[in-house]
Amino acid sequence: MKLKIDFITKSVLLVLLLACSNFVLAQRTITGTVIDSEENEPLIGATVTVLGTGTGTITDFDGKYSLEVPDDAKFLEFSYTGYSNQKIELGASNVVDISMSPGTVLDEVVVVGYGSVKKSDATGAVTSVTAEDFNQGVVASPEQLIQGRAAGVQITTASGEPGAGINIRIRGTSSVRSGNNPLFVVDGVPLSGDNTSASGNNGGLGASSARNPLNFLNPADIASIDILKDASATAIYGSRGANGVVIITTKSGAKGKSVLDYGYSLGISTISKRYDLLGRDEFLAAYASFNGQAAADGLDGGADTDWQDETFRTAITHNHNLSYGGGDDRGDFRFSLSYQDQEGIVQNSGLQRLSGRFNGTRKFWDDKLRITTQFTVSNINDDNVPITDDAGFEGDLIGNILKANPTTPVRDSDGELVQPGITEPNPVALLELSESFTNTLRALGNIGAEISLTENLSFKTVVGFDRSFSDRVDAFSRDLAAPNILGVGRLYLSDVNVSNRLWENYFTYNQDFGNISFNGVAGYSYQQFKFTSEDSQYADFRTSDLNEMIFNLSSSQIAAGTNSSRNINELQSFFTRLQFGIQSKYLFTLTLRADGSTRFGSDNRYGYFPSAAFKWRLIEESFVPELFSDLGLRLGYGITGNQEIPHNLYTSRQRFNDNAINNGGDQVDPGGLDNVAFENPGLKWESTSQLNVGLDFAFLNYRLSGSLDYYYKNTNDLLIRIDAAQPAPAPFQWDNLDADVINTGVELGLNFVVVDKSNFQWDVNGNVSYNKNEVRNFKGLINTGDIDGQGLTGAFAQRIADGQPLFAYFLREFGGYDDNGISVYPNGDFQEFVGSSPLPTWNAGLTNTFRYGNFDLSIFFSGQFGFSIYSNTANAFFTAGSLANGRNVTADIVNNGEGNLNAPDVSTRFLEKGDFVRLQNVSLGYNVKLNSDKVSSLRFFVTGQNLALFTGYSGQDPEVNVNKAINDVPSLGIDYTPYPRSRIFTLGANVSF
Amino acid sequence: MFDYKLLKTLFAFAVVSMVFSCTDLKVDEVDSRVTESATGEFTGNGPDLLASAYNDLSTFTAQENTYSLFTHSSDIMIPPTRGVDWGDNGVWRTLHAHTWDPTHSFVTEAWNILNQRAFKCNQVLASSDPAASAQEKAEAKFLRAFYMWNVMDLFGKVPFREVNEGIDVDPRVLTRSEAFDFIETDLMEAMPDLPDLGPSATIAQASKASANALLARLYLNKAVYTADNPGGPYKFEAADMDKVIEFCDKVTAAGFSLEANYFDNFSTDATTEIILTSAAGSAQNRYFMTLHYDQNPSGWNGFTTLADFYDKFEADDQRIGSYPPPDGSEFSGIGRGFLIGQQFTDAGDVLIDSRSQKPLQFTRDVPLSGAATDKGIRAIKYHPANQGNYILLRYADVFLMKAEAVLRGGTDPGGQTALQIVNELRTTRGASALGSVDEAAMLDERGRELWWEGIRRVDQVRFGTFSSTWDSKTNTDPTRVLFPIPQQALDSNPNLVQNDGY
Repeated sequence: MKLKIDFITKSVLLVLLLACSNFVLAQRTITGTVIDSEENEPLIGATVTVLGTGTGTITDFDGKYSLEVPDDAKFLEFSYTGYSNQKIELGASNVVDISMSPGTVLDEVVVVGYGSVKKSDATGAVTSVTAEDFNQGVVASPEQLIQGRAAGVQITTASGEPGAGINIRIRGTSSVRSGNNPLFVVDGVPLSGDNTSASGNNGGLGASSARNPLNFLNPADIASIDILKDASATAIYGSRGANGVVIITTKSGAKGKSVLDYGYSLGISTISKRYDLLGRDEFLAAYASFNGQAAADGLDGGADTDWQDETFRTAITHNHNLSYGGGDDRGDFRFSLSYQDQEGIVQNSGLQRLSGRFNGTRKFWDDKLRITTQFTVSNINDDNVPITDDAGFEGDLIGNILKANPTTPVRDSDGELVQPGITEPNPVALLELSESFTNTLRALGNIGAEISLTENLSFKTVVGFDRSFSDRVDAFSRDLAAPNILGVGRLYLSDVNVSNRLWENYFTYNQDFGNISFNGVAGYSYQQFKFTSEDSQYADFRTSDLNEMIFNLSSSQIAAGTNSSRNINELQSFFTRLQFGIQSKYLFTLTLRADGSTRFGSDNRYGYFPSAAFKWRLIEESFVPELFSDLGLRLGYGITGNQEIPHNLYTSRQRFNDNAINNGGDQVDPGGLDNVAFENPGLKWESTSQLNVGLDFAFLNYRLSGSLDYYYKNTNDLLIRIDAAQPAPAPFQWDNLDADVINTGVELGLNFVVVDKSNFQWDVNGNVSYNKNEVRNFKGLINTGDIDGQGLTGAFAQRIADGQPLFAYFLREFGGYDDNGISVYPNGDFQEFVGSSPLPTWNAGLTNTFRYGNFDLSIFFSGQFGFSIYSNTANAFFTAGSLANGRNVTADIVNNGEGNLNAPDVSTRFLEKGDFVRLQNVSLGYNVKLNSDKVSSLRFFVTGQNLALFTGYSGQDPEVNVNKAINDVPSLGIDYTPYPRSRIFTLGANVSF
Repeated sequence: MFDYKLLKTLFAFAVVSMVFSCTDLKVDEVDSRVTESATGEFTGNGPDLLASAYNDLSTFTAQENTYSLFTHSSDIMIPPTRGVDWGDNGVWRTLHAHTWDPTHSFVTEAWNILNQRAFKCNQVLASSDPAASAQEKAEAKFLRAFYMWNVMDLFGKVPFREVNEGIDVDPRVLTRSEAFDFIETDLMEAMPDLPDLGPSATIAQASKASANALLARLYLNKAVYTADNPGGPYKFEAADMDKVIEFCDKVTAAGFSLEANYFDNFSTDATTEIILTSAAGSAQNRYFMTLHYDQNPSGWNGFTTLADFYDKFEADDQRIGSYPPPDGSEFSGIGRGFLIGQQFTDAGDVLIDSRSQKPLQFTRDVPLSGAATDKGIRAIKYHPANQGNYILLRYADVFLMKAEAVLRGGTDPGGQTALQIVNELRTTRGASALGSVDEAAMLDERGRELWWEGIRRVDQVRFGTFSSTWDSKTNTDPTRVLFPIPQQALDSNPNLVQNDGY
């Protein structure tokens, strides 16, 4: 049976009904004084609230308060920063005086999904990063805010392109397909892992990856990011928890006077490192050494062109942020509007984002009903340039900047672009004769209602939606001398629409039974994911004008609907979490989630994901020395899943393959009817079991504090696309691979207050993590790490096999050159495992924060160690043969012993250590002292990003990950002409009214 | 007091609506056809699937995979590594040098592609929504036989999966002689329902003639396919040779004859020889793979022929080609047949290699690795000016099969000798008549007629020269007559056993 009742309509009705009434209740007035128990001084500004409601007040200069409370109110709660909260039962008396004692700073909370807990009570491995610790400067997406800040979280941007895709690995890599990113939950709405924009098609120049789908979030709106790392924390997200969960909470209005904030910053970006290419004379001399002077004279175009100068630029970023927020006892609100215009350091590239947000809460019915909403809408415009992941020997834009003949003029004497041929496109022509942009409109929001049913029991219902429309245009003029483009022109249009919705309902029960405290959550969640795409392509244009091509499509004479698709997936879940605390000393958490997913076959539609965790707060024990201010031992185990695979791979289905315009641009090759999938009812989620042992500690009154964690993660039933046993409907089938991927690691996060004087403070915050990855019990082998370039068709650099880390390098061992300049491979001309991996063994981050008077300074270093990078860039472009063919190379190629007829096969010659330390962020701020009742604060700051890089890697930057997947099996750590990284200086000011 | 009653009512409403919204997790497929019945039986659209199976024939136009296994392993083509070009992880060199292994990517790809396409033919035969017609089923059987013949010839054994066998079933494996019988049965069963079609430049539909041509090929090689040892010796039976002659005569009777102008066969002007082509894909890879970058069209500067093979032609033989002076028209800078020595632009100017800045002159010599851009004799059958459909079966092959069958002991009902048949062809091609014909002469003649058409490996195996040596090929291991079962296939199907020698 299938009932299609529009749950959004129902829920909105419910919310409206709930909001439609109000009550008048009998009240009385309580008064009293709050004093410090040690000093007996009045406490000014202590908060007094009626427990379980938002009704409250603050104490005055004499520590006195007066508060109207409902007749049925039972408790008052007193709180004051740095002091322990107190709960006082109301009796007949209308006077309540109390004395409060300074407490500990344990009241920090962490968000754990379907609720939050005090950090001291958290039984799982959770790292929380709040706004003050975020990375500053030009930031396009939220992940960049916490890059390097959390132990065990490795964040790698694919390239330096504004808005480029990002890889996040929490506690190592465990899957062998693209679904390796954690689950993102924004204000309670779990996002789908799908891209929200299309990848790019650049004719014969290759394909480019889609942008980071999280770019739609304005980083300035984010209050905190909580990273759930171990299974006991992520199991509440069941089949999506195996790669960790990143919970993003956006800012709400603060109680009190409404505040208007405005911030502006100006960023200036330049390329952080240029390639050391040959200049005109060095190039001609080196070319002549292979082909003779006469040939060099023939090649000489007479110019002295620095192609890097011609195409890179100093880029400017403007960022405006405006927000207005406030709140009172019954609710809060915050509006924000932001605009970021980020130029890329490659001409014509950039990103503009306009975003708006409203967050609000409001209590009704004596605070028994709380309505909350978070809503954001963003418009993102990406200006793309033809930088691709898989360009052939012709190269993409960056490839051509590297290889272009430096004696070729950019333009001839008539001002026309000089275009030597389709295999040697002029980089400036690639920019000027192409136009590519992506426009994405995305809205994400939720509205929730929380009802206090009894003093202990509440019910929350949340309706969420995530909607995006994206269209991408890639146009290449017929005047551009590039493969498959010259003379015909090419245009590709790609649309992606995403429409996801969520309905969640859960109960929360809280009660203290003497020494035992109990918190329980139980609920139901339904999520639907709808993904639609549409692509078309055009060629044989009657115009060279890019605008006419794009906006007057019939200027083309060959058109093909490439393909379209729509698929719907559903996820239906039941979940519960039970937390017990015994004497605040022994804390237990049990969770269970049952996920039903349409991604799996009928035999395994539902998966069950349990976890259990225990925390022993040793600090409560008498035997722990006074030296400690906190000590707790955590133990957790759980099973989580991963279901990030394409839609319906278990029903025998057929679909027409893509239509394509042929290379000549004069004919449409229609796609045939092909099999999509086998009948495979047994297909199921991938599961990861994880054991975590952790220690939380603090010494010397929190002067030094930190956490140490050990984990053992075992992923099996790996979801993977493998070769089907032929004959079969398709070359590949999705299956649960009977193998284990083991990640073992240790994480340490430390905070040390070095100096804590009233006018000078120095904090050191560091994290370091170690991870070891290994594939076990795997029969078979999978190649990945596609290597592109001249003479490199079919080449690959990585192999997944038993006993090796994932993505282990599989290369020829290079032993120099023989007398003829031909590569020598001492072990033989075959590929083998060379003991190197692209997975960093060590990750570290170190922040020093200084505050002196009104100045503050933060210096942040990050580093990754114990990994290698394969330079497909050098393999494809920096060889003697390439030089002898009239292509530019880096200076180290000249006279390196390689002959011009050598074939640069994939070998350790192009493998380098990637270890690096980066001075990632330095931020200096000054808070202006104000004596104004109009302006409440004014701050100026200057930030430098990527200021220095210490590495032995010879490429542009060792933090690189170009998509070199083979048959959908991803690669890692391969450098192939990515968008270069930049160094950014930002100047800005924030003012509050 | 607070109105709990109202609250509870609302709450009950919420819970009820929650229960109603529970889903059975079944979603509609709107962008694909579900091709299984409720009981898991394959349904599928017969005519659409047959069209798709024909479309799949485009795989034979690629220069890699199946085509490369049939030609690069032979003595008429060499894929030199040219400095930074064509290294391609060694896939080409190992094919020429007979040093491939079970992880060779073309070996794996060819296996996957051919078997997958054979399976689609099973789906045509099982289709029910709507079902394929009798003729469509016959065409599907022909196509299945064609794909399976490729697998049988290359790998020596043929896996088979019934249409309703799912992911959990390991396909059964036919031995080479079982596969021979299976293919022969398919073709004989298909014959009555296949259309009776004559020659056409664009014929892309299976006909009685194509089935007869494939049957002739099957029987001519029967001794190879049923041999105890795949590397030989082979015992050719006169009865089988008579069958070859019978099938060849049926093709001739369908209206096929030799084309007066050899290179017309590969152009849009083809008239009398073309039995089957692929409408999908293009023959352009055949010239791109050999032409130099600086020629028009700009090629990939790849494969060449070997001087020893080039020397087997007489100067007047049409099949060696010609290079009329370019007249300025597009592509007139490209000759037909073998391209050797100085090359010219369409305008007739001396062509300069843009990389080395030297005049482009194709040389006779060509090393397997470390080759400069000008090394090796290029070869053009399909010409960019007027390339025809890519040919899968051509009458000249049938014509020579008959001659060979007579040579191997068959009897021509028309009374012709092998020498007469061969000389008839040679005369048509402008070559001098031979005085006698033996096995070596027959193999040479097939080479001259059918070069680069993807059949050379089959001929060399049958004539026993595949394990001999030639330029840059020294491996004489007789087990190389079969390619290995790909490692990934062995890993995915325990019923498969690796071929001897790997």
